[in-house]
Amino acid sequence: MAAPLVFRRDLLSFARILGGISQLGPRGLNSCSRHRKCGQTRPPSQLLYASLSRFQLLQSSSTFFHTATHLSSTPFTITATDEPDTLFQKVVVLVKGHDRAVLDSYEFFATMAAKELGITMAKVFEPPKDIERLTLLKSVHIYKKHRVQYEMRTHYRCIELHHITGCTAQVYLEYIQRNLPEGVAMEVTKTAMEKIPDHILEPMWKDHPIDDKPSK
Amino acid sequence: MALLGGRMFLSLGRSNISNLGLKQTTNRVTYATALSVNSSAGNKERGGRGSVGRRPRRDPGEPRTGKMPVDQDWASVYPSATPFRSNAVPLPVRMGYPVKGGVSPEKKGNLELVKIPNFLHLTPAAIKKHCEALKPFCTEWPSALDTDAKCDEHFPIKIQSSDYVSAGPSVRNPSARIVHLKVKLSSLNLDEHARKKMLKLVGERYCKDSDILSIKTDCCPLRQQNYEYAMYLLTVLYHESWKIEAWEAEKTAADMEEYSWEDSPSQKNILDTLLRMKVAGEGEEAEVREQLLARGEVQEYKDSVVRLKNEGANENSMLQYKEAVKKVLNV
Repeated sequence: MAAPLVFRRDLLSFARILGGISQLGPRGLNSCSRHRKCGQTRPPSQLLYASLSRFQLLQSSSTFFHTATHLSSTPFTITATDEPDTLFQKVVVLVKGHDRAVLDSYEFFATMAAKELGITMAKVFEPPKDIERLTLLKSVHIYKKHRVQYEMRTHYRCIELHHITGCTAQVYLEYIQRNLPEGVAMEVTKTAMEKIPDHILEPMWKDHPIDDKPSK
Repeated sequence: MALLGGRMFLSLGRSNISNLGLKQTTNRVTYATALSVNSSAGNKERGGRGSVGRRPRRDPGEPRTGKMPVDQDWASVYPSATPFRSNAVPLPVRMGYPVKGGVSPEKKGNLELVKIPNFLHLTPAAIKKHCEALKPFCTEWPSALDTDAKCDEHFPIKIQSSDYVSAGPSVRNPSARIVHLKVKLSSLNLDEHARKKMLKLVGERYCKDSDILSIKTDCCPLRQQNYEYAMYLLTVLYHESWKIEAWEAEKTAADMEEYSWEDSPSQKNILDTLLRMKVAGEGEEAEVREQLLARGEVQEYKDSVVRLKNEGANENSMLQYKEAVKKVLNV
């Protein structure tokens, strides 16, 4: 007796949900195309099909995964733009962590990656560690003379890169940051070099009289 | 049945109104939970009937490490950051506090090895592979800019900013919006008056020893805005320092940045003293003063006084002043 009841319940709610999906369809798609930059928007027919298969619990996995693999097979093309590349005179990468061994391994990884990508490393050194200590009461109530002491050790590693272009810096930093281990934080300080902009080369008062009051 | 369906529709309606932009996964979730409850109830009934009819427990068999060839592609075993799997790492690793009179515990079932972040996915071979794939996206540094001096000559403005990466409830870090702009005043097109006015406008932001003007902007919430504000400040400072206002003609000796000896009390005093001493010959006052000024000792005295006033009173400047005074007064 339980089985036919369940089935009928499914049908009713299923019909209502389909109605809900058709209402939601275009709006939902528009917003999700805005959020996701790559071309992974699905037409309403595919979404309906996906939901149908899930509810019926028949061949659900095959259709769902089939659409996913089809979308990821677009080839990547590297395009070069005319925009001038930013030049960084110095990029300082400071990594902080609680475990020195983890930072050792990370330093090996970062230095090897820099060497492979052809980036000049000026300095790789270890700033002294910071220890933050606190003394707390051991007991919840009274017993002031009995305390417990904790300390938090922060170890540092600093990698300085010299003369690196904007594209290379972006690639290297993204690679480094994606492989940052758990419990390690990073601070990157970039010093970019720029030419003097055109409006600072000559004072404007030479051409225009001083009585003029320009906006800038 | 109708009641249940009605309740479900209500929840559906609520999710529709609140999450207009979301996909249908929420709808699926509200429906799927109901479904899963029903199916799990069915399973429990089946399991409870007979514990005898359970599937027999299989042996785990040989761990994967035994079947690994020596020249395998390790990048396919650990392609990305994954926790440590003792049956997939063919190394006899031991970790942990040693048992009394023994060694650290072995890797099988060792939680310490699982807790610590591992770099098994970043072996040198894997790093080389990744870098090979990333090489096409990198650009070369221009070979003409080898030294820092050349960089400063062609690109005098330096913009410094920081990025922060850490785990926490939010990805953002408010310190990332701060922008430092550093420029050497010698690389800007300024004449004497403009330079002095710029120094007065800028105040503490200028460092005399290194001749670097540094502007720090953090008033805007975004880094792009702060950068644009810094460039705007630089432009305004530059143009304002070239402007000559009417009230600048009222600049007094107290406003001057450096001490100038001409028309100063010191000059008047030394000339009066020398005249009273009657060192020079008789003649018109103005001519006599000019003659006195042209003398070598008076020039030395002038240099020593200027040095004292500008640099302050240190050993060398005091000695120089002493020598100059002795020469001028013939002591």
